[in-house]
Order: sequence, then C-alpha cells, then structure tokens
Amino acid sequence: MDPNLKTELLANVILMAAMLLGGLATVMLRQLVKAAIALAFTSVVLCILMFKLAAPWAAVFELSVCAGLITVVFISAISLVKPATEEERAAHMRFKVRRYFLLPLVLLTVGCGLSYMTVRPLPVVAGAELITDMRILLWGPRALDLLGQILVLLAGVWGVVVLFKEEK
Amino acid sequence: MPSLLVIIPLLAVLLLNLPLNFLRRLALPAAVLFAVYQALFAMQLLPASCTACPTHERWFVNVLDPLTSVLLLAIAVVAFASVFVLHATASDEKHGFNAFNLIFLAVAGMNGLVMVRDLFSMYIFLEIASVASFILIAAQRDMGGLEGAFKYLVMSALATMMMLASIALLLAYCGSTSFMVVAEALHAHGSHGYLLTAVGLFLGGLLIKSGIMPFHGWLPDAYAAAPAAASTLIAGIVTKTTGVYALIRLVLHVFGPSVAVQQLLLIFGAISVVAGALAALGQSDMKRMLAYSSISQVGYIVMGLGVAGAANKFAAELGVAGAIFHLFNHAIFKTLLFVNAAAVEKQAGTRDMNQLGGLAQKMPITGLTSLLAMFATAGVPPLAGFWSKLLIIAALWLAGYHGYALLGIGASLLTLAYFLSLQRRVFFGLLRAGCENVREAGWALTVPSLVLAAILLGVGVALPWLIGSFLLPVKGF
Amino acid sequence: MTKLMYFAILLPAVISLLALGTRKLGKVCAATALLGAVVNLVVALKLFLAPAHAVHIPWTSWGLDFTLRLYPFSAFIVLAAAGFALAITLYSLPFMAKREHSGLFYFQLLLSVAFANGAALADNLILLLFFWEGLLITLYGLIAIGRPGAWKSAMKALVLVGVSDVCMMFGIALAGHYAGTMTISKMHLVLTQTGPTLAFLFLIVGATAKAGALPFHSWIPDAAVDAPLPFMALMPAAFEKLLGIYFLARITLDIFALTPGSWCSTLLMTLGAITILVAVMMALIQKDYKRLLAYHAISQVGYMILGIGTAVPAGIVGGLFHMINHAMYKSGLFLTGGSVERQAGTTDLNKLGGIARLMPVTFICFFVTACSISGVPPFNGFFSKELIYDGALERGGIFYAAALLGSFLTAASFLKLGHSAYFGKLSEANKGIKEAPWAMLLPMLTIAGFCIFFGVFNAVPLHKLIIPALTGSSFGAAHVEEIAKTHLVGWPVSTLLVVGTLVVLALALLNHFIGVKRSGSGIGAADHIHYAPGLHQAYDAAEKGWFDPYEIGLKLARALAAVTWGVDRFINWVSDSLAVGLTAMFSYIVRALHNGSLSVYIWWALAGLVLVIVFLVKVN
Repeated sequence: MDPNLKTELLANVILMAAMLLGGLATVMLRQLVKAAIALAFTSVVLCILMFKLAAPWAAVFELSVCAGLITVVFISAISLVKPATEEERAAHMRFKVRRYFLLPLVLLTVGCGLSYMTVRPLPVVAGAELITDMRILLWGPRALDLLGQILVLLAGVWGVVVLFKEEK
Repeated sequence: MPSLLVIIPLLAVLLLNLPLNFLRRLALPAAVLFAVYQALFAMQLLPASCTACPTHERWFVNVLDPLTSVLLLAIAVVAFASVFVLHATASDEKHGFNAFNLIFLAVAGMNGLVMVRDLFSMYIFLEIASVASFILIAAQRDMGGLEGAFKYLVMSALATMMMLASIALLLAYCGSTSFMVVAEALHAHGSHGYLLTAVGLFLGGLLIKSGIMPFHGWLPDAYAAAPAAASTLIAGIVTKTTGVYALIRLVLHVFGPSVAVQQLLLIFGAISVVAGALAALGQSDMKRMLAYSSISQVGYIVMGLGVAGAANKFAAELGVAGAIFHLFNHAIFKTLLFVNAAAVEKQAGTRDMNQLGGLAQKMPITGLTSLLAMFATAGVPPLAGFWSKLLIIAALWLAGYHGYALLGIGASLLTLAYFLSLQRRVFFGLLRAGCENVREAGWALTVPSLVLAAILLGVGVALPWLIGSFLLPVKGF
Repeated sequence: MTKLMYFAILLPAVISLLALGTRKLGKVCAATALLGAVVNLVVALKLFLAPAHAVHIPWTSWGLDFTLRLYPFSAFIVLAAAGFALAITLYSLPFMAKREHSGLFYFQLLLSVAFANGAALADNLILLLFFWEGLLITLYGLIAIGRPGAWKSAMKALVLVGVSDVCMMFGIALAGHYAGTMTISKMHLVLTQTGPTLAFLFLIVGATAKAGALPFHSWIPDAAVDAPLPFMALMPAAFEKLLGIYFLARITLDIFALTPGSWCSTLLMTLGAITILVAVMMALIQKDYKRLLAYHAISQVGYMILGIGTAVPAGIVGGLFHMINHAMYKSGLFLTGGSVERQAGTTDLNKLGGIARLMPVTFICFFVTACSISGVPPFNGFFSKELIYDGALERGGIFYAAALLGSFLTAASFLKLGHSAYFGKLSEANKGIKEAPWAMLLPMLTIAGFCIFFGVFNAVPLHKLIIPALTGSSFGAAHVEEIAKTHLVGWPVSTLLVVGTLVVLALALLNHFIGVKRSGSGIGAADHIHYAPGLHQAYDAAEKGWFDPYEIGLKLARALAAVTWGVDRFINWVSDSLAVGLTAMFSYIVRALHNGSLSVYIWWALAGLVLVIVFLVKVN
C-alpha cells in the first residue's frame, strides 16, 4: 500500500477514534459543563474529518452549528440548573446502568435484527456505478446548498447573540 | 424568479443589520412587505391562475407545482401574522429586532424547503427553519422557554439522525439524492429491506418533526413555552412545513404511497387525532390546549394522506386534496388562535383558563375571531375547516376505511367540546374578578386576527369556486 | 339593467341597516325609512318598465344557484309591494311616532321589503326559500315589538308558519328531485304520478299557509291585537297575500300544470271554500275592530285559492285580480282601524260608536273599502269576485253557493262593523275625538282611490298587470289565448251572476235590519246568528281554541313531552354521565402519560421508529 495513503488512513482512524471517545465522554461525564465541552470537542474532530474529506462547507456548518451554537444552548440551559441533592445522585446511579448500558444494547439488538431482516443481495441501480467519487456527488452540483449554509451560519450567529450575550 | 423568496430574506437580514439606527425601525414594514410580495407571488402560481408555471432557473433546478405554491401562500400569511404579534408583544426593541431577524431566517428556510427537489437540500433547509425555531423559543431565556427549546432540540436531533442515516443509505444505493432518481430506484426495487429501512428512518424523522403521536413529546412544551410571536410562527407553519409538508411531498413523489406506508399513516393519524383531542380536553393552559389540538389536527392531515394510494382513484384524489387543503386551513386557524392567545395573555396577563372569563365583553374582536377559528377547526359549515375535513372523511369512507371515517367524525365532536370549553372559560360567562380592566388588544394584534378570520370565511364561502379550479388540481399526482 | 334586480334586494336591506343604526334618533330614523320606501318604489317602477330578463350566478353544483328572473308577474308583485310599503311607512310616521321600538319597526319593515322583493324575483326554489324564511324572521320580530307580552303571539306565528315552511321545504326537495333542477322556470311536472303530486301538495301547504289559509291561520287574529297596527296592514293584509298567492300561482302555472277536473284542483277549491266560510263565520261574531278585520284577511284568501284552484281562465284571472284588490282594501281597512285606534284610544266596538261625524275622511275611506270587500258594484272587489264566481260556477254549483254564502256573511259583518263603530250613539268619552293627521289620511285616501279606480276602470289592471303576468308563465300562456276569446274585462257578461250578487247584498242588508231590531244595537246585529241553535256551541268551542291547530299542537306536545321525559333522562344519563365520564377518564390517562420527562418521550419516538421499520419490512 502507498505509504501516503497509509498515513492518511491512520490519521482518519485516529480522528474517528477520538470522535467516538468524545461522544462516549459526552454521555458518560457526570458534570454537565464537562459533557457539553466534550460534545464540542467531538464536533471539532468531526469538523476536521470533514475538511479532510474535502467538504469545507459541511465542516463550517458543523463547526458553527454543532460546536458553536448547540454548545451555547447547552451551557445556557446548564447555567439554570441547580446542583443535584444526595438522593437524586443515588437515584441517578441506580438508573445509570439502564440508561448507559441498556440503551446501546437495545439499539444494537434492534440494529442486528433489522439488518438480519434487510440482508438480501441488493439489485444494482443503473447509473449508480458511474459516480465514483462521493465528494463530487455531494458538493459538486450543490450551489443551492451554499445559500443554505449561509442561512444556517446566520441563524447560528443569532443564536449566540440572543442566548449568550449578557445584558448590561 | 422563485429563488428570490430565499435570497430576499437573506439580504434583508444583512441590510437591516448595517450599523444604522433607523434601519431597525424598518424591520416590521420590510417583513410585512415581503410577506405580501410572497403571497402575491404564490397566488400567481396557484392552479387557477397559472397555466404554465415557471420551471427551470439557474439556482434551483426544480418545478414549482401547486403544492409548493399553496405552502408559499400559507408561509406568507403566517409570517405576516407573526411579525405583527412580535411587534405587539416584544419586551424591548432589541429582543424584538433579534426575533425579526430569526423570523426572516426561518421564512427563508421554509421557502427553500418547499421549493427544493432533493433529499439533502430538503434536509438543509429543514434544519435552517428548525435552528431558527430553537432560538426563537428560547429567546426570552426563561425556564420554560429553555426547557421547550431543549426538548425540541433533542427530539429534532433524533429526527436529524434518522433522516441523515436514511439519506446516507439512499445515497449509497441510488447514487444521488434527487427526488427523481430516488423515486425511480424505489419504484424499481422498493420492496428490498435495505431500502425499506431507509424509507422507515426518513418517515420516523418526519413524524417527529410533524409531532405525530407517539413522536410528539417535544411539541406541547415547545408551543406552550415559546414567546407569543415564536409560538405563532412555529405552531402555524414551521412544524407544518418541516414535518407535514415534507411528509406529503415525499410520500407522494418519492416513497410512493405503498400499502404499508398507507397503513402506518392511517394508524398514527388516528392515534394522534383521538389522543390529541383527549389530551387537549384536560388542559387549563390556553396555549397547551392549542398545542394538543395541533397534534389532533395534523392527525387528520396524515389520515387524508393515508388514502393517497387507494385503489379507488377518486378517493385517493379527494384524500390528498383534503390533506393539502386542511394543511392550509390549519395553518390559518391555528395561527389565528395563537394570535388571540397572545392577545389574551398580553391584555389579561395570564393564559390560565381558570383565571379568565367573560373576556368577550372586553375584547369583542378577539372573542369573535376565536369563536370563528374554533368553529373552523371543529368543522362547522360553511367555514374553511369544514370542507377540508369533509373531503378527508369522504375520502376515507370511499376508500373503504369506514372505521377511520367514523373516528374522524367522532373526534370532530371532541374538538368542538374542548374548544367550546376554552371559549366558555376564556371569553363567555361572567367577567372574572381581576379582569375588569382588561381592554381590547391594540391594532397590531387585531389586524392579523381580522385578516385571518376573513380568509377563513372567504375560503369557506368561495369553496364551490375553489373546488374545481384549485383543490382538485392541487392533489399533486 | 341587470343590476336593477340586485338593487331591488340590496337597497332596502342597506337602508334598513341605516334605520337600525339611527334607531335611537326618532325622526332621523323615520325619515330614513321613508327614504327607503321611496327609493324602493322608484326601483320597482323602473323594474316594471324594464323588459323581461334573468340573471344567473352559478354557486354550487347541486342546484343552489343565484337566479333572479324579471317578468311581468314578478315585476307586478314587486311594484305592488313597493306601493304598499310606501303607503304604510307614510302612515306609520304619526302612528309609530310616540311608540317604543319604532326604530326596530322601520328596520324590520324595510328588511321585509328586501326579502319580499327577493322572494318575488327569485327563480331558484332554494333561493326563494331563503327569502321566504327571512320574511318569517321579520314576521316574528314585527309582532314581538308590539305591546308587552306580544312575544306569545309572535311565537305562535313563528311556530305555525314555521311548520308550514317545513312542509314547503320538503315539497321543494321533492320537486327538485323529480324535476332535476331547482330553477322554477325550467320545472315542468305533471300531476299524474304520486311523487310529483306529493311535492305539489307540500308546496301548496307552504304557499297557502303564507297567504293565511286554513289551517295555519290562527296566529293572524292574535297578532291583530298584539302587533303594531301598520304591521297588520303590511304583512297579513298585503305582503303575505301577494307572495303567498304569487307562489301559489307559480306552483299551479309554472311548476305544475293544474288542469280543471283534476282532484288537486278540486282539493284546492275545497280548501278555498272552507277557508271562506269558517273564517267569515268567526269574523261575524267579533267584537273588536282589528280582530274582525283579521278574520276577513283569512276569509278573503279563500276566494283567491278558490279562483286559482278552478284552473279555468276566468277563475285564475279573478283570483289574481282579487289578490291585488284584497291587498288594497284590506290594508285600507286596517289603516282606518289604526286611525280609529290612535284617535279614540280603543278598537273595542262596545266602546266605539257614532264617530262618523267626527272622523269624516276616515269614514269615507272605510265606506269605500268595506264596499269593495263586500263586493258592491262598482268597486274593485265586485269585479274580481264576479270573475271568481264565473270560474266556480263552471266547476260546480256547490262552490259557487259557498262563495255566495261567504259574500252574504262578509256583507253582514261589515254592516255590523260600520254600524257599531261609525253610527249609533256617541259616548261621552268619545266626544273629543278629532280627525287623524294628514300623513295617515293620505295613504288611506290613495288606497280608497285605487279601490274605485280598479273597479270602474278594471280594464287597466287586467290588461296591464294580470294578463301579462300569465303570459310569462310556462302553463299560463295557454290560458291567455283562451282569455283573448272570452270576455273578462269590463262589466260582467253574465246577468245571472250580477243579479245573484245583488240579491245576496240585499239579503245581507235585510238580515242586518232584522238583527238590529232584535238586539236593539248595531253591535248585536249578528247575535241571532251567533246564538242560533247548533252554531252557538260551535262558536263556544272555537273561542276556546278547540279548532286552533296551534292549541291542539300544544296539547299534543305536552302529552308527548311527558312520554319523552323518561327517554330523555336515560339519554341524558348516557350523554352527560356515561360519555363525559368515559371521555374524562381517557383524557386523564392520556395526560398522565405525558409526565414531561424527555427520556420517556425519546423512548416513545424510538419505539415508534422500530414499529415503522418492522411494519414496512414485514408488510412488503
């Protein structure tokens, strides 16, 4: 294998692993602020991945909305939250198993079941094989989506303005 | 040029934010002007007046069909009403101005959404409208608003996940996300489990966005907690375009109304119709009651869509026409009700129906238009809502779903019951102590009320003309 | 030109709203009403002179279209209604001036004009029904604003006319079903099958009840006492006769082809004859000026129904001629009653007497109109009655005899009324009575003048109004050819009929003198008939309301109410307790499921998603 490609693949794998870790940290961390920051970290890694996949607009979109805006919304929501009492903490611990281990388990089972149901040789659509590069397909003829990106950016800006800016 | 409907609001937002003070005061006139322009533009495209609709242009490779123009019209009307409400209820100039910008953005997003013919573009515009809505709901930074926005955000994220997964699956298989290509592929190999999973995921996402039971958890909180202008816009049109319109468009033109899809729509529609009405019956917060009523009414639309593939062609056409007509009507009367709820909240200081009463004496316009809107929702002839419900129920009956048709009629009674209870507790009866000093709301709230009420009456009375020239051509086949 | 018909309906309606708006302003409101009546008359005149045409606005695909048709008949009715409306508005200016609710009175008067114009011009049965029901509402309102407690009479009128209107609605539905159209001028049905005949009968009920025929008549005498007097001159005397008989004529000439000798025709004639006799018998014994007139308003309808029911040209022309004549002399009579009421303060015949000298103009008007109604030559009533006699004789002696007997009793009762009110001894209390103001005399004199004019020059109304009206009807045109051959205009041809009438009038005079001699006063002139063996008991029963369909209905309704009470309790329990309880329970369950927890909601959505996908995959 081409060493260049090998490095590239390695980088991608590392980034994806980092992203997954970030996601896991987001759901596992006890402190909400830390969780929100972990989410932002995940988004940033995803954004880098997107840049690497030659989708700069998607990356900007991801960075602005997910890393920026949603973190902002989370943090402002968190700022309104009271610390939990001992009782609530205990209750939280009890349900932790169900929430963080049962949910992935259920999803996994369902996913397996679904894929079992759906696995059948796929008929090939005529013309599908002509498009070899997904990047071209996604970002080539999509002038329209540029407009959408601008709009989302603007929405993000107002999110920050409205939700984050402190009153005098 | 249709893409102006996306570009103008975008430019408007940029222009209004130039650092010149007088520009801020232009926000309301600019919004009203744009709404009127959009309404006129949309009416030009309605089947009655449009022989050869403009089709291709540089930015959007698409076809503007009657369904799109109906939605554009509804968006214009609701945006018109909500900027007035915003003008009347904004706590200070700065908040108001920010919200104006967000409404512009949401409208741009919705306009784009109804015009595109590509799954991924649809997703992007859907997100624009949604993101603007999250912020609008939370804009006051009060506890309720943040809670509502958070719930909407999380459930929307779930929907986003499903839709993106579906798009990814379809893209990997079909090689494109344009409606045409996907529809062809689904037509050819639609029974494959892989594609069905994709379809199911997308449907699930849209059902969350439209607030159909049991995907509706976010809706009552978001509607009830949002500031007045935001709830008017979101209840009136945002969920209708991001959820219901997208559902209609995709079921009719991309996924195809297969037997399974129809069954699903009928079942979920029926659950929403009945459970939404039952839940509304027990509410004491005016806006929360309206929110549950929304769930119930959207159920009707989905049920109408559920006969789109019926063997009886006439029933299928009636059902789709009824669903689209009800979508439009619902946008009008629900907006009217939210405008009036805003008026009551502003003038009386509360939305709790147990603390209100006899307001019709003090607020005659609000009381009367509310009554009209409620009758329209419940389907009292000759108001607009009656005809659309009639079409849907007739379609269900003709297609052989007699049980669903009877259910629809029965739920209409429930609708009337909870709305009469609302009207009695808020507007009729003795004037409640503490409400003596309530006055009629200002022009900024009564003008949209009257305009919307006139549309309701006008559409109802003009139905015989609309049915041939507008309703049946709009069915979208 | 086409807009003219809209004006006839819209202008009075708009001006009526103006009157409503200015109702607190006394004279301004009255002036507005007068203006409305004048404008309406101008429009009616223009319509009358305009050529026949129709306007058609399609509205729904299932028969309900906005179709108006102007042809000589409808123009004639609109013109006549406009004339009466103006005369009565003018009359009301002094009469209503000091009364409560005068503003509401004018408002409803003009609204009635608008509805009447609409009903006359409508060429679609459903549209007609709309205007018809509008008149029912103003009828209720006009009676209800009379003296305190008048709402009872108003309710009676509403129920009776309402019941007949329900019959008419049913008839309209049937007629529309069999004809396949709701447009009157396009309906041509024959009375040989059961269905169309049934439609005919139901429609007849509606039309004759509007005109005031038996058995839906009993509200009129009550209203005469309770309602403001101009109302009586306007609605029961003029508008309802005009519209009821107009619609009857359209039923028998436009929608159905009524042929002489058919049992429907005989039925109509019998209904007419019974109405004449029963009502006139009741009129004879009344001791109140207005009540007596009210019974005559019923009785005279019998002549019109009899005339139109004959289905022969002389009878139809006579019936229609009698309609316009009756509208004139009966509203004239009511107006004299009103001026007596206003000047003397009472209409009780026991308290009146000898006022002819004090109110000479009123008396002259009374004399002319009373002669007209009794059929004295050469007043207008004589000529129309002769035509009806002619038609009745052609169909059977018994109907002629009944009509003649009715004439005898009519003349007798008016001799009694005139004698007891205007002659006899003047009581002390009435010494100060003065003549009524000119605004009241002018309409009365105009109407009396027309009574003479329509009598002496009867060729004018017959040629200009009645016979053209027939030409515009689907089945009437055939009659017109026949009319051209027969001699209907001018002095009656048949000497026998004239002699019969004169003999009857002489007998009535004789009967009056006998009665006066026996009882010693004018008011008792009919007592020997009232207390005749056999009749006495019948009269007592009638006075107690035994024959009043409303009273009978009330009794039946009470009995039915007792029976349904139990059923109602049960249904009430089902709807109030059971259904509400179940609904509340389900509502509680649904609400309890919404506990506000986001994770619960997410679980629901995920479960829904799984359901969707599994269902999609499994069903395919």
